[in-house]
Amino acid sequence: MRPEYLFYLLVFPGLLFTGTLGLVVGCVDRKVSARFQFRVGPPFLQNFNDFFKLLGKETIITKEAVASLFISAPFIAFSMIVLVSAMIGTAMFFGVSFGGDVIVVMYLLMLYSVMVILGGACTGNVYSSIGAGREIKLLLADELAFILVLLVPIVKSGYVLSLDGILAAQQDGLFIGSASGIIAFIVGILCIQAKMTLTPFDIPEAETEIVDGPFMEYSGPPLAFWKLSHLMMWVTFPFLLILLFWGGFNLSGLGILWAILKYLLIVVVMIIIKNTNPRVRIDTALNFFWKYATPLALIALILAVLGA
Amino acid sequence: MNSPFILLFVAVPAIVALVNLFLPVLLRKLLNLLSSLFLLYSMIDVFFISKSAELLRGDFGAITIWGQEIFSVDQMSLFTLFFIQILAVIILIYSLKGVQADAQKSFYALFPLTIAACNGVILSDHAISFVVFWGLSGMTLFLFALLGRTKESPATAVKTILIMGGTDALLVMGLALMWVLQGQASWALSALNTPVTDGLSWLAFFLVLSAAFAKAGGFPLHTWLPDFSRDAQVESAALLPASLDKLLGIYLLARIVTTWFTISFILNLILMTLGAITVITAVMMAMNQHNGRRLLGYHAVSQVGYMILGIGSGNPVAFAGGLFHMINNTIYKSNLFLTLGSVEKQTGTNELDDLGGLARNMPITFIMALVGALSISGIPPFNGFFSKWMIYQGVLETAKTAAPGYQLWILVCLILAIFGSALTLASFMKFLHAIYLGKRPEKLKDIKETSANQWIATGALAVLCLIFGLAAVAVPLKIFIYPAMANAGLELPAFSGLYQPILLLALFLIIFALGMIIYVITKNVRPDEIYLGGMAPLEKFRIVGTAFYNEIRNMRGLKGVYDAADKQAFDAYAVGEKSSLALSRLFQKAHPGLLQLYVLFIVIGVVVFLIVL
Repeated sequence: MRPEYLFYLLVFPGLLFTGTLGLVVGCVDRKVSARFQFRVGPPFLQNFNDFFKLLGKETIITKEAVASLFISAPFIAFSMIVLVSAMIGTAMFFGVSFGGDVIVVMYLLMLYSVMVILGGACTGNVYSSIGAGREIKLLLADELAFILVLLVPIVKSGYVLSLDGILAAQQDGLFIGSASGIIAFIVGILCIQAKMTLTPFDIPEAETEIVDGPFMEYSGPPLAFWKLSHLMMWVTFPFLLILLFWGGFNLSGLGILWAILKYLLIVVVMIIIKNTNPRVRIDTALNFFWKYATPLALIALILAVLGA
Repeated sequence: MNSPFILLFVAVPAIVALVNLFLPVLLRKLLNLLSSLFLLYSMIDVFFISKSAELLRGDFGAITIWGQEIFSVDQMSLFTLFFIQILAVIILIYSLKGVQADAQKSFYALFPLTIAACNGVILSDHAISFVVFWGLSGMTLFLFALLGRTKESPATAVKTILIMGGTDALLVMGLALMWVLQGQASWALSALNTPVTDGLSWLAFFLVLSAAFAKAGGFPLHTWLPDFSRDAQVESAALLPASLDKLLGIYLLARIVTTWFTISFILNLILMTLGAITVITAVMMAMNQHNGRRLLGYHAVSQVGYMILGIGSGNPVAFAGGLFHMINNTIYKSNLFLTLGSVEKQTGTNELDDLGGLARNMPITFIMALVGALSISGIPPFNGFFSKWMIYQGVLETAKTAAPGYQLWILVCLILAIFGSALTLASFMKFLHAIYLGKRPEKLKDIKETSANQWIATGALAVLCLIFGLAAVAVPLKIFIYPAMANAGLELPAFSGLYQPILLLALFLIIFALGMIIYVITKNVRPDEIYLGGMAPLEKFRIVGTAFYNEIRNMRGLKGVYDAADKQAFDAYAVGEKSSLALSRLFQKAHPGLLQLYVLFIVIGVVVFLIVL
């Protein structure tokens, strides 16, 4: 193991960077959402306060829970998100791949859902069980389209699998500039909306219906880490899309401004979708992804194979 | 060189089987254990201790009778043989305690017979001995099915033997056809090499392929497998359909595509398509099962799809991945069957609807099952992911060089396979939830952890899952699979992707440790009751998890398919049974017992006879 991996993992673009940016973007989300609802919204550093305050709260473990699993689930999910962020970020900022390629990233991301289900359902709470069932159904709904979306840049780059290789293949033309790229990119945004369980796909959590589902029995530090990993996804997923389709970031001169704009554009689109749609039922979500999003992504893949 | 060494692998278990017919149960167990350990030790000796060069080159022992070479080994048979012995020992340790009492005696006689038959298949180099041992291993399957104690066991046994026997006949025909095509030169299997060009060679290819598919459980000859898994003893379900039959079937498939036939790209495409169909159809069926064993049975089918996809693609990375997946599948699938067996032995049921919340009662079994479930779903860093990752990149490499139309076709196969693994994950989340998580039914309050021999066996398999995932290249690939491929004249794989499992695990553990330190510093734990908004957590609110995927089952477009599948409309065996019954009813109608009608038949017959002549 080379020492710079530790830097990638712990400082930039891993834990410290992604965590901080996630908390900041979470605040942006709360502010913008508040504006949509004609509220003022919380102060800018509210997410930081929430996180550190939760660390000081007591952890309630239900008597029926499998305590070890219940406690380790959020930390495993958190470690996975940090790891994936570091892998994506390193490819993007340093042009170096370590640990794994696109397929590895895709499978690592599934671990998050697994942990949500194991951690939530081991409490024996009925709402958590319902939420766990929905979580995995939602994964099935978006995964098919997500696989297709990930295959488009692989095909377009001439079957390169590594993250930095896909980035390098966009030197002579961004994938988003092609017909297949833009379709896949749009479907990709919908997929990550579902992967992050944001409205209209917040079906597993559904606060008003099943009281945060799998997270219902969580409190204190474990809850803090669930929240943090969820906020870090605001960084991980948009970065993944930018890397695969939008040529990453060029951090020199005006490039920095352009990079921030790219990122904010995706985030704002997601926030807008989140605030203008009601929560759908799980069968509606399945129908939407399997009958509309997937064929669309398949068209993108066909176009990519044909070279468009 | 006429060394008796390899003959031991057939003779020892066969003798044990024979002697065991007359011994009391305790001695049967002992004898079985001793012989299995001896054979395992011999294999360990070959690979790791003496590493004897001529042994590993594979020309150390050929048994010749009447001038015909009956047994010989090469690298591929050697490593398959090794894994047969490993699994035999582990499953035997599991079965030392807890086999159903009234079936115990027969079980310990059948067990060595099965091992002898399987070893015989792997070692045979003569078409006739190959077919004999192949048939024998099918017969032990039938006998194991008869040992089952469910209502459907006899019917399942008949179904199994019909599919096995039928495909055995096809195998014999295929081999005979190849013999004819090759100028009736030799019955030695290592001498076979038929290019698939004209109609007859195609026929021979598919005849032999059908035997491999039936044994391994490939679509459309897989239908005996879920039934067998439900109705037979759980130990035999772990032994045969989950592990040894996979080894035999895929071993044959690997032989078919590497040495027995020289296949064209179209056949690669057909194999890959069959693989993808196997993956997706079986896993869609598995998702909606309510019986734990049947669910595992369908997954045993679905995993075969990945092996067919990899081995059929003709790409070296995918081929190695396919063989690796074969090994991995035997490990995690027998682990899953055995953990379910432990649960079944403790609670008396394998119906998912009646179980739940057992993770607190049986924590060790739960951890082993969790490792198995994550491996089969392809979650890094376990072994299932590594082989799937190899298969995917190999298939992508195959697509890369194909024309756009074929490219798209291959990509669709790949997408189905990747999506199949998401469905597998979903199915196993339901499986884990239904058995180990959620609210525990009141009647399962006092269930105890299973006996030590059982969790030692499943634990060994779980450890193998992790080792083969982390040190995939260093251990299974370099020691077992690459030499076999080199021996078969294939080029060695070069990975186009990037995956460093040990690095990833190390980095993962650093973050995890950091998180746990923060937790330990800040923690302030209070135990409390479940919160349900003021309601009491009653039994009637319990969510089992078997109904998780009802939305998918009842989706428009899929509902009709599922309903038809429940009526066995896609089961080749059931369809065949129905149509042959319908045909015989037609003949029955022609025999109403009227003499005049019979005379008329005779007259018509004579007229037809005369006209034809």
